[in-house]
Amino acid sequence: MRALLVLAGSLLALVVVPVALGDNGGFTPVEPASPNAEGIHRSWLFVSIFILLIFVLVETLLVLFVVRFRRRRRDRFEDGAQIHGATRLELMWTLFPVVILVAIGAFVFYELPGIANVPSAAAGDRLEVRVTGRQFYWQYEYPNGVIAIDTMRAPAGVPVRLEVVSPDDDVIHSWWIPALGGKIDAIPGTVNETWFEADEPGVYTGQCAELCGLQHAQMLASVEVLPEPEFDAWLAQRRTEQTAGTSELGEETWAGVCAKCHGLSGEGGIGRRLVGSPVLADPQALENIVRNGRVTRRGQMPAVGSGWTSEQIDALTNYLEENPPSGG
Amino acid sequence: MAVSPAPTPVPTWQRGRVTSWLVTTDHKRIGILYIGTALVFFVLAGLMAMAMRLQLARADAGLIGPERYNELVTIHGTAMVFLVVVPILAGFGNYLLPLMLGARDVAFPRLNALSYWLFLLGGVILMLSFFASGGAAQAGWTSYPPLSVEQAGTGQDLWILSIHVLTASSLAGAINFIVTTHGMRTRGMTWTRMPLFVWSMYIFAWLLMAVLPTLSAGLTLLLLDRGISIGPWDIQTHFFAPAEGGAPVLYQHAFWFFGHPEVYVMALPAFGIVSEVIPVFARKPIFGYKAVAFSTVAIGFFSMLVWAHHMFTVGMPNALNGFFMVASMIIAVPTGVKIFNWLATLWRGNISFDTPMLFVLGFLSIFTIGGLSGIYLAAFPIDWQVHDTYFVVAHFHYVILGGSVFAIFGGLYYWWPKMFGKLLGETLGKWHFWLMFVGFNLTFFPQHLLGLDGMPRRIYTYSDEGWEGYNLTSTIGSWVMAVAILLFFVNILRTSRTGARVGNDPWQADTLEWYTTSPPPPHNFDDVPYVTSARPLYDLRRRLREQRGARTSF
Repeated sequence: MRALLVLAGSLLALVVVPVALGDNGGFTPVEPASPNAEGIHRSWLFVSIFILLIFVLVETLLVLFVVRFRRRRRDRFEDGAQIHGATRLELMWTLFPVVILVAIGAFVFYELPGIANVPSAAAGDRLEVRVTGRQFYWQYEYPNGVIAIDTMRAPAGVPVRLEVVSPDDDVIHSWWIPALGGKIDAIPGTVNETWFEADEPGVYTGQCAELCGLQHAQMLASVEVLPEPEFDAWLAQRRTEQTAGTSELGEETWAGVCAKCHGLSGEGGIGRRLVGSPVLADPQALENIVRNGRVTRRGQMPAVGSGWTSEQIDALTNYLEENPPSGG
Repeated sequence: MAVSPAPTPVPTWQRGRVTSWLVTTDHKRIGILYIGTALVFFVLAGLMAMAMRLQLARADAGLIGPERYNELVTIHGTAMVFLVVVPILAGFGNYLLPLMLGARDVAFPRLNALSYWLFLLGGVILMLSFFASGGAAQAGWTSYPPLSVEQAGTGQDLWILSIHVLTASSLAGAINFIVTTHGMRTRGMTWTRMPLFVWSMYIFAWLLMAVLPTLSAGLTLLLLDRGISIGPWDIQTHFFAPAEGGAPVLYQHAFWFFGHPEVYVMALPAFGIVSEVIPVFARKPIFGYKAVAFSTVAIGFFSMLVWAHHMFTVGMPNALNGFFMVASMIIAVPTGVKIFNWLATLWRGNISFDTPMLFVLGFLSIFTIGGLSGIYLAAFPIDWQVHDTYFVVAHFHYVILGGSVFAIFGGLYYWWPKMFGKLLGETLGKWHFWLMFVGFNLTFFPQHLLGLDGMPRRIYTYSDEGWEGYNLTSTIGSWVMAVAILLFFVNILRTSRTGARVGNDPWQADTLEWYTTSPPPPHNFDDVPYVTSARPLYDLRRRLREQRGARTSF
């Protein structure tokens, strides 16, 4: 009996303690901020009703039977009731779960269109962004040729359709911003799509969800949602700056692509120390390494920049020329 | 019985304490070898998990670098599946199947020995791959290409080799279990009088036979994609290389067509153990024998139709996602049938709480959670949210560690007196259980919440301080479990030194293995009673009681 109290107490503690320690403190996915994430959230809550019901039923019966039918003063080997089964009960607990599962399945299919279907472009303006997962950064391309790394800007209240890909010479990644919907893999040789429509301006974060190599853990992504006019202005300005070579692309590339292995000040990490490296001063050599990667004694640098436009390469070279890594 | 040929004398060199184990073809010794070896790997793979938990206890910890962490993730997972859970269950099957069926040995004793030695070889290859050039494999136990093709060094190749060897081992074992079950049941033991553990091992074996070849095919393609050299020829294929028209997702299909049934390969025999232990400690027959046996078959069958629920995020058409969702949910039905039948077996029983029963009751309470969290994952839009997060990590540890491994510990405490003639200490056993139960939930429950909050699996570090509380709790839990496991080994040592001998049948159990001596002689039985029900020993005791005219039970 005492053991059972300990059991019940510790189970309760297990539920309560981590919740108190954690920040979102919830048994639900991250607060949704987009219709597709909301659909998933509603499905989660609907399924939870039945999950909790069955959980409570089974665990209660278990504890109840264990307490009620424990040995007490009976002889250890005295027979319990010699009951071999009951067909009616078997049928009941076969059919009852079927009914629940049908309900769950039906609800999921009811919510599915709102989660999976990308709002059609005809209904109004829709933004298209190509998301490329690469070791170990996310690259975004807007229809007007603007490129951004790791941080995507998007307008609030506008459906954004994402084409999620990975280059042929890269590996599988998975695009995931929890508040903006489920994840979709970026698979070499395949074009996947997903979408979101952020309700409110704000910054939503996520990270790569498919093991993609050494710096998988650093492959963070965020979506900065701006009010629509502000976003339009940013996109136009970025276009101009990118052409002129004055955009932040170089810095973004350094921080998102190079620094994850070589350190933000080039101090080295998983990759070698870059401070004072002659390669950085030689644009041709730099381009060669970035485009083709290289195999060294210590391992292998992926071809992080294969397929980059010359605009992007120049942005990086210019940035490094002006801000040579100091070693921090 | 048929006339047996005159026994060949055993050569002197094979009689030594060590050599007799090296050359043995006795299913009982092979079973013990399997279990003992798997326990060693359990400790090794457990230490790997402890190391990972230490690294994750704090945000931005620098204890283990990404390279080492990815090795640990990969080898921990691979070892726990291929070197721990499956072989321990195969060990139980080896030890128990002939005894439960009233047979002298398995059908092919030499093949059985080969199966064990291949298992050991595969395990040693996997563990030594840490010392390979470039380190051990780093692409996770699923080893998806292109990542696994890209990895330099020989670790990934050794990983493939190890799995190939282990596959051969498992197939040899599976053939043995199937033929033994078909051909070596004693007189009177019809299919519906077989112990439920035998049913589960029988389906275990068929599942392995059905799905392991697919894994082998997938891994061979992976090996060829990585490139091999035979003499002067270099062979390099592109099955999974998109640049050459290959498809990386093809590998995932091959892997999971094996990988999901593998979950049931690890779960079904654990269910079998539960179905043996509960009736004995509740002093009742199993409730709904046929329903439990049939649900085992049903789970085995449906487990081969659900593999792509591991791939809901690769961008399959939703019609296909829907099919795999429905198929996955169907499996919940026979699983539920089992749970309710176990509960009904407790009803109006005379329940004793010895350590085997505690572990099995722990299994019931934990496995229920693992099964239920699976419903979320089967609903594919929800899976899009929680796939590849710590929610999934929590889910499969609730199924495999809290489910299978708890049942395995229950089985070890339950059959230990049969194997070695001595009961494992009850006091230490109870400490082992309670620490394990608390430690387990402490470790894995918070991981559900981490996953929901967006923490992906297989990351070696994180910066979100909101995740620290859960992660620290989880790490503390892993230490509690480590103490529990330590107590288990202390218990074994102590029992072997000072434990008192108990009789042939200390639990007054119902199945044939308890009819013979503990430990059983090499030939298992001097005679086997004619089997008239699924509980031959219960029948025997009742007949004895009636003959003596005694009204009380013993």
